[in-house]
Amino acid sequence: MAQEQQVFSLSGSRRALDERWQPRLWLAALLTGAAGLAGAGFHRLELLGPDAAGSVGGITIGLLAVAATTQVALSFYLGDRTRWIGTASGIVTAGLLPIAGSLPLFGIVWPGLALIGGLLLLYIRSRAQLSERTINQLSGWLLVIPALVLMMLWVYFPAIYALWISLFKDFNYLGAAEFVGLENYRIALRDPRFLKSLANTTWYVVGTVPLSIFLGMLTAILLNERIRGLSLYRVAYFLPYITALTAAAAVWRWIYNPNAGLLNWLLGLGDFRWLANPNGLFELILSPFGVELSGLVVGPSVALIAIMIMSVWHFLGYNVVIFLAGLQSIPKEYYEAARIDGTNWHQQVRYITWPLLAPTTFFVLIISLIGSLNVFTQILILTPEGGVLNDTLSVVMYLYFKGFRDFDFGYASALAFILFVITLLLTLLQRRLFNRLFGGEAETR
Amino acid sequence: MNFRWSVGRTIIYLVLTVGAALMIFPFYWMVATSFQNRQETASSTPVLIPEQMRLRNWVASFQLGRQGRPGLLGGLLGGFRPGRSVSLDLTLANTSGGEVEAIIPKPLGVLSFPLGDDTLIETRLVSEGPEGGGRDRGTPTNPGEGGSLYRVTLTNQGESAYSRIPLEVRIPKGATLLSSTLAPDGLRSSRRFNRVEYADIAPGAVGYLFRNYVAAWQAAPFGRYFFNSAFTAIVQVLAGLTVASLAAFALARIPFWGREVVFVLILGTLMVPGEVLLIPNFVVLARLSWINTYFALIVPFIASAFGIFLLRQFFLTLPQELFDAARIDGAGWLTQLWQIAIPLALPGLLTYALFAFLGSWNALLWPLIVTNSDDMRTIQVGLRFFVEETGTDFGPMMAASTMAILPIIIGFFFVQKQFIQGIARSGLK
Repeated sequence: MAQEQQVFSLSGSRRALDERWQPRLWLAALLTGAAGLAGAGFHRLELLGPDAAGSVGGITIGLLAVAATTQVALSFYLGDRTRWIGTASGIVTAGLLPIAGSLPLFGIVWPGLALIGGLLLLYIRSRAQLSERTINQLSGWLLVIPALVLMMLWVYFPAIYALWISLFKDFNYLGAAEFVGLENYRIALRDPRFLKSLANTTWYVVGTVPLSIFLGMLTAILLNERIRGLSLYRVAYFLPYITALTAAAAVWRWIYNPNAGLLNWLLGLGDFRWLANPNGLFELILSPFGVELSGLVVGPSVALIAIMIMSVWHFLGYNVVIFLAGLQSIPKEYYEAARIDGTNWHQQVRYITWPLLAPTTFFVLIISLIGSLNVFTQILILTPEGGVLNDTLSVVMYLYFKGFRDFDFGYASALAFILFVITLLLTLLQRRLFNRLFGGEAETR
Repeated sequence: MNFRWSVGRTIIYLVLTVGAALMIFPFYWMVATSFQNRQETASSTPVLIPEQMRLRNWVASFQLGRQGRPGLLGGLLGGFRPGRSVSLDLTLANTSGGEVEAIIPKPLGVLSFPLGDDTLIETRLVSEGPEGGGRDRGTPTNPGEGGSLYRVTLTNQGESAYSRIPLEVRIPKGATLLSSTLAPDGLRSSRRFNRVEYADIAPGAVGYLFRNYVAAWQAAPFGRYFFNSAFTAIVQVLAGLTVASLAAFALARIPFWGREVVFVLILGTLMVPGEVLLIPNFVVLARLSWINTYFALIVPFIASAFGIFLLRQFFLTLPQELFDAARIDGAGWLTQLWQIAIPLALPGLLTYALFAFLGSWNALLWPLIVTNSDDMRTIQVGLRFFVEETGTDFGPMMAASTMAILPIIIGFFFVQKQFIQGIARSGLK
């Protein structure tokens, strides 16, 4: 009963409480920071490892832990009926501690739960007594904090951490590592296997991206001709895209099988070894004419081409669906007007469809480019070791081998960053090129 | 003009149909191979319709299964109960060269062989054909008429029940098999005789049809893989939906200080490619001892910039009046989110849920890195190791692949329209 009265009287002087509230929030923030550092130092640092970036993670987790505690305590301190919720949540948290402490997930689950509980309490309080502006501030942050914390922990912090790791030699999560600066990058740029993987990935991009865009656009244009059974066709083209790459690649491994595979039977090739063939495409084409090639100009290997064919099959449906949506968003009036002017189908495609589809094309181009630069799964299934003489090794696959077979994390991180920079540069370059060609239409998205 | 138009239409349909057939055919080939026996997968001419897909053999295996074990269960699953006998008919041509003999092959390296000891095998010549088609040599014999009918009867004289009856019928060198109750799983020749092999002569219809599936299921813990994948994907979707709808609602509807900065920070994660995060996230997980736990599979992917962006777009298109009315009625932000925004943005939630589920179910690289024991593998990782281990045994391999994609394919046909629209929308906005 007394509690109820207190709430009533407090909400009567909302402004006064707001003023009382503000300094405490600041105090809580300060306490949080200080105790977080201490907590990190005492507790998490050891677990997180000896290097500095590890302690950044430790500090983050420690901060979270202490923030949660402070907030629960604060809600309790301020009194009124939320005190009981605060107490209950405190007991629950305390009860969780021994369980959580014995589990390896102690580090994040406890502070996470306590943080959410504390913020929830703040929210409940704020509903009763705070001004609308403060409510908005608190609820806005309350709602974005889970997403933001997760992204900080699992994207931004690791991205910086990766850069840090790439500066070490023999980095693993067990022992001390030697700081070597940019040495890993220097090694990478002279590593023949890395350069080979870069060349393979380049061939893969050059081979799959334009082809799948062309085929996707063509199919979409045909599908857009008001044909019957559109949804049936669409499903047929789309089905490969939703199947797992692992299973899809396993089927193609069977199709490409040299002895009993379907493809060799269809083409009458005997026991042609599709996936173990390091001969370059141009090499094979030109050798009957007595032209000997070597180095990069031999072209993508037969095995890599087999992988490309499988990949185009797998990803085509996505492009078809996106292009079809782009086509359907083009107003029909344009075509009617063009028909009145007596244009034919080719002219309509050339002067209406193609330019108006340009933003969609750009979108598909970027998506396929990023996707193909990261090619991994189908290569791992079709040629588990990266082919004969690394002829199908992609950058991500090399990164995987270096990182998780050789456990050379520093070097693998450097490779990841090089790929990152290449992706970024290509995307920016394409954007520029596109704007010049199509007058800034891509900016609208 | 009209003629040209219809020619054009025909060409369009032709191109589209051929394309669609090419897209679909690998799926058919996957399923067909999953029903092939070893001899069929090894055949140099691909077997487009394997014996296991023929109705005739389903009926035969149902009947044989019932002979081995009474009732519907026997017809479906087969078996060899005590006191039961199973009869298999074979029509052979050119048997004059020698005896027809049936044996139960003894598995290599076993000391006791109870099935063989308990089973009485009788081989009987039921009706003799016009001797083996030998009279008018050169003309093809009509199956059923031209050959001699042999009946092999196996009787379980022991006390115990068996699940499988492998059988090998030895026929003379010159003889050919014209027909048999159940299609054999292998025809082999050895020095003195030819062998007609059956992996199981009382399999039951299901046991016969899904032989490779059973083999795959027994070779690796696919049940566990399925559970891991489903659990990971469902938790990831639910947690992702919660986190994304909260954040998206705040970003779309609540005016608070720093909103733009938060939005830019969230979108900024799209710039960071996944492969950069592999190693640092692995290190963090290793230090938290989270490697080989569900946390490692789920937690790093809960917050998705794509999901937040998609839902924010949805929430932005909702009319402000709805929220104003709710606020006048005293609804707080969470009530507005739960009662108004979520019900009206269901298509958006569904789209994001489908993307997240598909992404989680189909992922290989990350689960491959963070799991290291068989019981934590997801279906894709399990399949990858299964593919590596089976090597060239393509029947079970394709059966496992079919199993791995089946839930997605079935689910896709239910939400096909929403899903394709969702993808299309992601390209337009």
